[in-house]
Amino acid sequence: MAVKKDLSINYLGVECENPFFLSSSPVGSNYEMVAKCFETGWGGVFYKTVGIFVADECSPRFDQTNKEGLPWLGFKNMEQISDKPTELNFENMRKLKRAYPEKIMVASIMGSTEQEWKDLAKMAEQAEADLIEGNFSCPQMTSHAMGSDVGTNPELVKSYSKAVTSVTDIPFIAKMTPNITNMEVPAIAAIEGGAASVSAINTVKSITNIDFENMTGMPVVNGKSSISGYSGAAVKPIALRFIAQMLQNEKLKDLEISGIGGIETWRDCAEFLALGCRNLQVTTAIMQYGYRIVEDMANGLMHFMDERGYNKLEDFIGLALGNIIPAEDLNRDFKILPKFDDNKCIGCGRCYISCYDAAHQAIDWNAETRRPELNDNCVGCHLCLNVCPVQECITPGEIKWKDGREQVDIALKHHYD
Amino acid sequence: MSKVVKAKYTAEAVSGFNHRTAMEEAARCLLCHDAPCSQGCPAGTDPAKFIRSIRFRNVKGAAETIRENNVLGGTCARVCPYDRLCEEACSRCGIDRPIEIGKLQRYAIEQEEVFGMQTLKAPADKKAGKAACIGAGPASLACAAELAKAGYDVTVLEREAKAGGVLTYGIVPSRLPQAVVDHDIAQVEALGVKFEFGKDVKEADTEGYDAVFIGTGLWGTKIPDIEGKDLKGVYAAADFLKAARTTGEGFDPGKKVIVVGGGDVTVDCAVTAKLLGAEDVKIVYRRTLEEAPGNMTEFQYALQLGIGITTGMAPAAVKGSGKVEKAVFKGFRDEGASLELSADTIVFATGQGPEDMTKVVPVTVTDKGMIAAGEDGAAGGKFFAAGDIVNGGKTVVEAVAAGKEAAASMIAYLEKKGVN
Repeated sequence: MAVKKDLSINYLGVECENPFFLSSSPVGSNYEMVAKCFETGWGGVFYKTVGIFVADECSPRFDQTNKEGLPWLGFKNMEQISDKPTELNFENMRKLKRAYPEKIMVASIMGSTEQEWKDLAKMAEQAEADLIEGNFSCPQMTSHAMGSDVGTNPELVKSYSKAVTSVTDIPFIAKMTPNITNMEVPAIAAIEGGAASVSAINTVKSITNIDFENMTGMPVVNGKSSISGYSGAAVKPIALRFIAQMLQNEKLKDLEISGIGGIETWRDCAEFLALGCRNLQVTTAIMQYGYRIVEDMANGLMHFMDERGYNKLEDFIGLALGNIIPAEDLNRDFKILPKFDDNKCIGCGRCYISCYDAAHQAIDWNAETRRPELNDNCVGCHLCLNVCPVQECITPGEIKWKDGREQVDIALKHHYD
Repeated sequence: MSKVVKAKYTAEAVSGFNHRTAMEEAARCLLCHDAPCSQGCPAGTDPAKFIRSIRFRNVKGAAETIRENNVLGGTCARVCPYDRLCEEACSRCGIDRPIEIGKLQRYAIEQEEVFGMQTLKAPADKKAGKAACIGAGPASLACAAELAKAGYDVTVLEREAKAGGVLTYGIVPSRLPQAVVDHDIAQVEALGVKFEFGKDVKEADTEGYDAVFIGTGLWGTKIPDIEGKDLKGVYAAADFLKAARTTGEGFDPGKKVIVVGGGDVTVDCAVTAKLLGAEDVKIVYRRTLEEAPGNMTEFQYALQLGIGITTGMAPAAVKGSGKVEKAVFKGFRDEGASLELSADTIVFATGQGPEDMTKVVPVTVTDKGMIAAGEDGAAGGKFFAAGDIVNGGKTVVEAVAAGKEAAASMIAYLEKKGVN
């Protein structure tokens, strides 16, 4: 490999060779799978959630959403926590830790009472786990004493966090559910209960598609279906939003958040890191493509760091966070008109249609030249730029200041892929 | 009336991908397990890996994979017979059509240039051994790069004024622009490989080297022994292409041009003539298209340019007073058939042969004059050989593969000899 950069990072006091971890899910549910993921280059694993409760799974249990032929925009999973015996799972964790001492083992646990949380935490400690994650957020559990209903209840989050941290010194990470308005509330509760940090986000409650053969949702289980967790590329924007809001909260600003939600490429990784995460978890992309995706995550991130002169991840962690500001604080004194490149334009007229039907009727269509012509109605919304199918055909152009507003230097985005 | 494509001699015939279209194509890739495309590449370029990198937005990583595995990655992206190699193997054929692997490879290497990447670097620790590569064509360049990567001191000795061999002198630039070849060669130079041009090598020149690679290619011309073969206007393919490449747009191919043969070189000659202004260009081949060694995509390109293709006719005589005026053909299998065409230029693209290699270096040659080297390239003592001069004339990618293979043998030889 021509480019070599240090991707190591200290996460909650644990030295990790890189920030790429499997999230607690089907992708890391036995010895062989986790061993293979380690060999492929993942820095650690959040082993599939273990409870005293052992799951009894339905079949089938997955579905995916797509748009215009592109599959797996989002993914739905009805699988619950591990369906293997509790002891066997902890035994696997210990064996894996001993076979791969430089890799990081995180025990993900879920109890239904304070005592269960304590027992599971002790078992994780005996299994020599480096970190413990509390799963407060799985939306497909069959009991309200477990899963995402717990994660929306700050009292439960706090008391269960307290239960875990009262019996072990291993740093505890509370996994947050996005099925809530303000994630800061349970996150603060977790920290007050002794948690070292939080991971976010778990999956979003969903019905992905309606099946007309059975008049139910997908997947179809004996003619019925259930609401369950949605993940993948479609939820990345939701994850980034919750993470930014937590890190901008005065009580949570120093948290070492583990970011989860639609991570597939090095670019996604860099985005979560730029917002302030110090650890990254992945499942859906592995379900679609396998563990090998970590190769391009690592190599691509190294090239990104090389290009920008960063030597370690800390050099850019959190750089984007301060630039996410309240909507009322944005400079609203100007508009940027779109610039049309008539040579690149292929004359499809999509910008005209979208501008007329969904924006401000600011584009006239020259039927003779088959080219768009901007008129004075333009408000600079850039819907045209977003709908244009040709790379860099419509780009940001002239800046127009609103009457009587102070003209200042403004930062612009120049390049759109 | 059929629509005929107009093109320029030096302008690349096929346009490449941009970021968006490359992503669209990479998204079609099935990212197979045990990817057959990677197994289908003789040079081990590993398309499955570099397409996966593009798919996961790691374009630099894609360029790195290509460059590390195939130093002539930019060139191969243009001239590889994909339809017979990786693209034929592509699993996507089972759904609709293969991934455009060559075009994705081209995109990654174009981005390598945009980013100013320098993937290949010679190790800081140099080895004591000195190696020479005779000829600066694909096999030699690939061999030289591997030796330099291993830390050896390498010198390429080339008869012509520029490096590239057949890439620089024998392929139409609309298929392989010179800039692409030069960019590939720059990667070899960046490894510290030295080039000596205008060097007609004799055995004495190889004395100072611990190991010597011979990759001289096939530059002996073969014109059938028929009436009128010495008339002005009769060319061997290699001479015709070289004259066009070195003269460029100013080269006058004649108004009526006939190219005899059925390989990629035949098409290159015909396309060269057409793009340089010939009014009427015809390819005449003695066998059927099905038997022709050339690529179907190349024949199709020739047709698009308005070049005619006639099969089943073999050259019988060239007529004219002082210069070519007419070509006479007889049926190759159909004994009664005959054809007479008026022409200013006749190019014989009927294969190229070896020069007498025994006069250059102490090697054994086969009855066809090729160097008798093993599959590992060993040609006796410190001499190694690969590429067209051994295999009788195959593809660029096979020459790269053979050059890499020979370099591995040379490294083993040098290690055994103790010049490390």
